[in-house]
Amino acid sequence: MTVAQPETAKYVYGVVRSEGASPPKGAGIDDEPIGVVAHGSVAALTSDVPGDFLEAGRQELLAHTRVLEEAMESSVVLPMRFGVVMPDEETVHDRLLAPFAEALEEQLQEMDGKVEVTIKGIHDEESILREVISENREIAELKEAIQGKPEAATYYERIRLGELIAAALDDKRGAAAPGIIDRLAPFAVDVRVGEPVHERMAVNASFLVERARLGEFDRVVDQIGAELAGRIQLKYTGPLPPHSFVELGAGV
Amino acid sequence: MATAMQQPYRGGSGYVARSSSSGLYDVLELILDKGLVIDVFVRVSLIGIEILTIDARIVIASVDTYLRFAEAVNRLDLMSTETQGLPELMEGITEGGASKKTQGVLQGAKEALFGDEDEEDEEKEEEPATKRQRSSSTTAKRRRASSSSSSGSSQRRSKGS
Repeated sequence: MTVAQPETAKYVYGVVRSEGASPPKGAGIDDEPIGVVAHGSVAALTSDVPGDFLEAGRQELLAHTRVLEEAMESSVVLPMRFGVVMPDEETVHDRLLAPFAEALEEQLQEMDGKVEVTIKGIHDEESILREVISENREIAELKEAIQGKPEAATYYERIRLGELIAAALDDKRGAAAPGIIDRLAPFAVDVRVGEPVHERMAVNASFLVERARLGEFDRVVDQIGAELAGRIQLKYTGPLPPHSFVELGAGV
Repeated sequence: MATAMQQPYRGGSGYVARSSSSGLYDVLELILDKGLVIDVFVRVSLIGIEILTIDARIVIASVDTYLRFAEAVNRLDLMSTETQGLPELMEGITEGGASKKTQGVLQGAKEALFGDEDEEDEEKEEEPATKRQRSSSTTAKRRRASSSSSSGSSQRRSKGS
């Protein structure tokens, strides 16, 4: 800990094939140019950052995604998680590329020609609340009982009502997910199902899709979106580098 | 904008909200939580990471949450039940996925982190940059307080489940 920090360090964006690797022309974090550190058939995309690089915000996050996006246009890229900073090129070589060369090469092959698409769905508030009321007698009755009475007089009833609704939403959340995922999975190579991160989130899943089949995949998403209109709003994000489908595993 | 190759098919239905990685908010979860990583070399403390944790809030058992739900249900009566299922209902749905009637948690977190700009604005980089600077001075204290770096995302996950 007492070792003095060097002036600059290497921020790592992702891993590409070294053969014919030309770094993205667009600048990286702090407008620094993107460089390449190669080892055998694999190479890391890096740029200089201050040695004590610690704080990051919107601009840095955007630079990270921009570099990866540009890289994936010309070739396959394995994205790093945001925030990986290594002291120097030697460390990038010795701690990332050399020990994981085989795993990286394998995944570059696996991910070639494929992109990640995330599909999130949020229940429309009004429609899901109506569903909850129509399906749950206790909620419907309590709601009727409170109707038209002054707020102060029904404080505890309203808390009870809200509690019942929260529980009902809990039960419903994610119930629509398998149906949506099953429809899309045949058009994808792989699927990762994430946790709902919102109280009305119906589905949160990442799909690994071959570029060649992206059109088909998109059409099905649109179909599902149209069918669910008014009940669940789908959100499509992509194409992205395959963040959810890469991992380093155990190094050598 | 190099989007021709990335978007071979642009859906015509209009029912699905779309964005690419230039819509930063939509990829935050991915770039902060997924991808290749060597833990000892993660050297970053994120400005606004404590706000990101709000993103993971599911239903939190609290009186405030319950009262909010009760209010939302009672409000349903003010709207005509006849419009249910009709296209008018769609007008209430915004690009961000949250209904405009409620400030959804996602929306709230988004505003807290990025200001009130929309995704469309994120493509224009200059303007948000100035917003960022303005707000960064106010978050400076919190930033320092939350110096634990990568733990943010794992906290987020455990809190969510």
